[in-house]
Amino acid sequence: MKDVVVIGGGPSGLAVSSELAKKEYDVVLLERNDELGGLLQQCIHDGFGTILFGESMSGPEFADIFTSRARDEGVEIKLEAYVKSVKKKGHHFNITTVTPGGIEELKAKSVVYAIGCRERNQFEIKIGGTRPAGVYTAGTVQRLVNLHGILPGKDVVILGGGDVGMIVARHLFLEGINSTLMVYPEEFFSGLPRNAQQCILDFDIPYRPRTIVRNILGDKKVKSVELVEVDEDWAPIKGTEERYSCDSVILSVGLVPYSEKLEDLGGKVDKNTSGPIVNEYFETTIDGVFSVGNLIQIFDYVDDAVKTSFIAADGVEKYLEKESEKNLGIKLKPGDNVMTVTPQRVDETTGEKFSAFFRPDIEKENPKIEILSGDDVLERHVKRYVRPSMLEEISISKDILSGEEEVIIDVR
Amino acid sequence: MRLNWKVERTLDEFPSDISFEVKDRVVFLEGKVKEYKDWVKIGSEIGDIDGVEGVVNDLECEGKELTGLEKVIDKSKGKEDVRIGKYDIVIVGGGIIGCALARELSKYEIEVALVEKEPDVSLGQSRANNGMVHPGLAPSRDSLKRSLNIKGNEMYEDLCEELNVPFERVGSLILITPRTMEEYKKYIPDPIYKFFLKYILPWIVKKKGDLNGVEDIEILRGAEIHEEEKNVTQDVLAAVKIPSTGIVDPYQLTIALFENAEKNGVDFYLETKVVDFVKRNHSVKGVITDKGTLKCEYIVNAAGLYSDFVAELGGAREFTIHPRKGVELLFDKRLNGWVDHCLAELKIPSHPTSKGGGINPTVHGNIIWGPTAEEIVDRNDTSVEREKIEEITERYSSIMPDFPKERFIRYFAGVRAATFTEDFVIRPAKWVKNFLHVAGIQSPGIASVPAIADFSIEQLKDMGLKLKKNKSFDGTRSSIDRTAEMDKEVLERKIEEDSRRGNIVCTCEMVSEAEIIEAMKRGADSFDAIKRRTRAGMGECQESYCLLRISEIISREMDVPLNEVRKECKDSEFFDGVVRGEEL
Repeated sequence: MKDVVVIGGGPSGLAVSSELAKKEYDVVLLERNDELGGLLQQCIHDGFGTILFGESMSGPEFADIFTSRARDEGVEIKLEAYVKSVKKKGHHFNITTVTPGGIEELKAKSVVYAIGCRERNQFEIKIGGTRPAGVYTAGTVQRLVNLHGILPGKDVVILGGGDVGMIVARHLFLEGINSTLMVYPEEFFSGLPRNAQQCILDFDIPYRPRTIVRNILGDKKVKSVELVEVDEDWAPIKGTEERYSCDSVILSVGLVPYSEKLEDLGGKVDKNTSGPIVNEYFETTIDGVFSVGNLIQIFDYVDDAVKTSFIAADGVEKYLEKESEKNLGIKLKPGDNVMTVTPQRVDETTGEKFSAFFRPDIEKENPKIEILSGDDVLERHVKRYVRPSMLEEISISKDILSGEEEVIIDVR
Repeated sequence: MRLNWKVERTLDEFPSDISFEVKDRVVFLEGKVKEYKDWVKIGSEIGDIDGVEGVVNDLECEGKELTGLEKVIDKSKGKEDVRIGKYDIVIVGGGIIGCALARELSKYEIEVALVEKEPDVSLGQSRANNGMVHPGLAPSRDSLKRSLNIKGNEMYEDLCEELNVPFERVGSLILITPRTMEEYKKYIPDPIYKFFLKYILPWIVKKKGDLNGVEDIEILRGAEIHEEEKNVTQDVLAAVKIPSTGIVDPYQLTIALFENAEKNGVDFYLETKVVDFVKRNHSVKGVITDKGTLKCEYIVNAAGLYSDFVAELGGAREFTIHPRKGVELLFDKRLNGWVDHCLAELKIPSHPTSKGGGINPTVHGNIIWGPTAEEIVDRNDTSVEREKIEEITERYSSIMPDFPKERFIRYFAGVRAATFTEDFVIRPAKWVKNFLHVAGIQSPGIASVPAIADFSIEQLKDMGLKLKKNKSFDGTRSSIDRTAEMDKEVLERKIEEDSRRGNIVCTCEMVSEAEIIEAMKRGADSFDAIKRRTRAGMGECQESYCLLRISEIISREMDVPLNEVRKECKDSEFFDGVVRGEEL
């Protein structure tokens, strides 16, 4: 019987495995690919590690730090291991993996899901038209260009004004494609200002805010797209349709936590984050099952995603040592000006403070972040500036929660 | 003469100047109309006339260029001098009908070839439908559709068992709700309206089914309905249950028919376009394609959406296809369990652009909503408008209001090859001796497949074809082993035999590298051909994880550069050239 099985060998999975191994637990890490590092392996741009290490490194460099840690701490690593099923049996879990070497059954006292997210595809954002060759997600393009040295096309439309889209736009520009156009429904780039400057503006890459790809056109290969301007609610404005020639469309329209697998086990999902509902240690609604990283919600910085691994490692320790006192079940909910809040639940009164992450729904200077019980303000935090593109973290005192059933985080 | 008179009377209702000619019960229309919808309407009304066996609609449409033969078929591409084979029968069209007939003919000692313009079978309407095996309730009593539907439906278990294709007789429920006759509601007092819907209408529906030859129809009311289908709308008044309705994977079945026909000696010419026929004395002597000429004794026109053009080339122009598009919405497998039967809400009169349609389960555990029905000009147009997605979710949510309708994973469209008589056209051509039409196949085409194949052979016999049993015929076919469906022991053994079985390349559908290789061995050489055979890429992430990984395998196995891997046909290569300063 293993103490912990961690599913997913990206940065968060590596971090939680090494933390737990450091605490002398018997940890197995399962990764479906033939290498560790997850999505970071295809992120060859820099900007990783500024929060945790105070220096800017590339994705693979950042991942290497945690890969070495996991190896040094003695985590048992299994590559090319596809998790076929996880089943709860009494107080332990049976995990079935499929690998080119055969099937392996593992027994563990607890499981940490670190399976991250997947990219949203053309169907999830209801792009109309035909379905020809030439429509790719940004992740596919990164892997294509970095690993194979092949371009997706010559004339590219990138849909989505987030960080990934901007980084891919710059990358393709540098790798020598003919033309790029970036379109996005927001008024401003939804990614970090630093990326907008360094990836788009510095290279004079054309972009159109408040614009979406309404239809993809072309029989065998993408021939063009129908662009349309949208209003503040992202509703298309009639009469603004324009046909724009291109040979490929790259979708960078957001990431979705890969919570389906956890749902199969019976875990509950939060509609706002699309990730599992978790408590302050990122334990899901199933006892002994934790989740970390981008599975919980989409983080802007890998540094923040990895922070959840450190917190979850403490939670797993408590669970294994049977120290967790549970079932307070205080609900944490987003207020009117907040899109998402994690954790969604606070279970324990022990400890002084816990970290909560929230994504504001408004842009505001010097806002007050309020922890509310009904109309009563339990605690107030201040921030210099909030905007929807920046996930915020606050540290909430546990003692203010005692006796509460439901608490709201809002920006005022 | 009576027919002439009826046609004239029908045309009188339209202001336009239209002339017509009737030849052997086929009506030829000429003239001009203003709008495409008039073009369709006039054709349909003529097709409705009792005794009309075909409508050739040559009406022009102001401001709209209709697809003509010369736009689709380039005769100059024909290679008449290159002889590539001599056959007893050549089938034109590799959809489910062509493939089923090819396999049926392979039971006899004759030489059969099938010509298909696309690089794979099943690329027309055969792949883009909801896979419903209809019970035979909808067609009118005296139609060919009805008899072949009833017969075909009964034959499904045996066929699918032989070919190793999943088929489930899930049954269907026709729901009668307060919305069923909404248009008449205002004329009828509410208690009478409800009473009629609850107690009278179900009997009328059942009676129609009984008379059509559909067996074991039951009427359900009250709690019985929710016992059968727990999530169905609470305001349902009655339901007509038809146990014989089934579901099948239509392209898997087509592929299975193709593989088995090929195994039994049928020659398939894929990516081969028919551009003309060699004709002599009112009969066809050969098929001219862009690859060469196939000599033949008999021709079968199973060209689906293009069957009217193939007919025209052969001198057998007896009908015009008016393409009717249907959009479907496919939902996440994780919603499996929400829907147990094929569900439809009865609407009288039926919706103008969606006769029928509803919510169906699929054999793979997905749930499918649709289809819509929309008359379109361009038969190639399988695009989906954004608005259609909302239209579908809105229309069918009255069947199941709580269904998580935001969890669809894909949408697609297929185009029905409808003729104006709206019945199957399975008959010898009127003016060509050895030319059999198997055309106008639309719903309930899938259900009728096995019976259509049999019926077509009867027609061929009547045309003089002599058949002798092929003693070496082997009707069985093995499917590609699905890793996802293997139990532990089997999978363990399979991985030991081939470690690629343990390399899962599509994580949503749990498809291994071994399955990809097996599909390629069976002839799949493009991403989509592999996808249809293995289900790789058909899960919730819709290829975003496996597209490149599978392309890498194709590139390696076929020994072509990655940027020559095709999505489907020629000119659908995925990627472009190399990055700056690199060489492949």
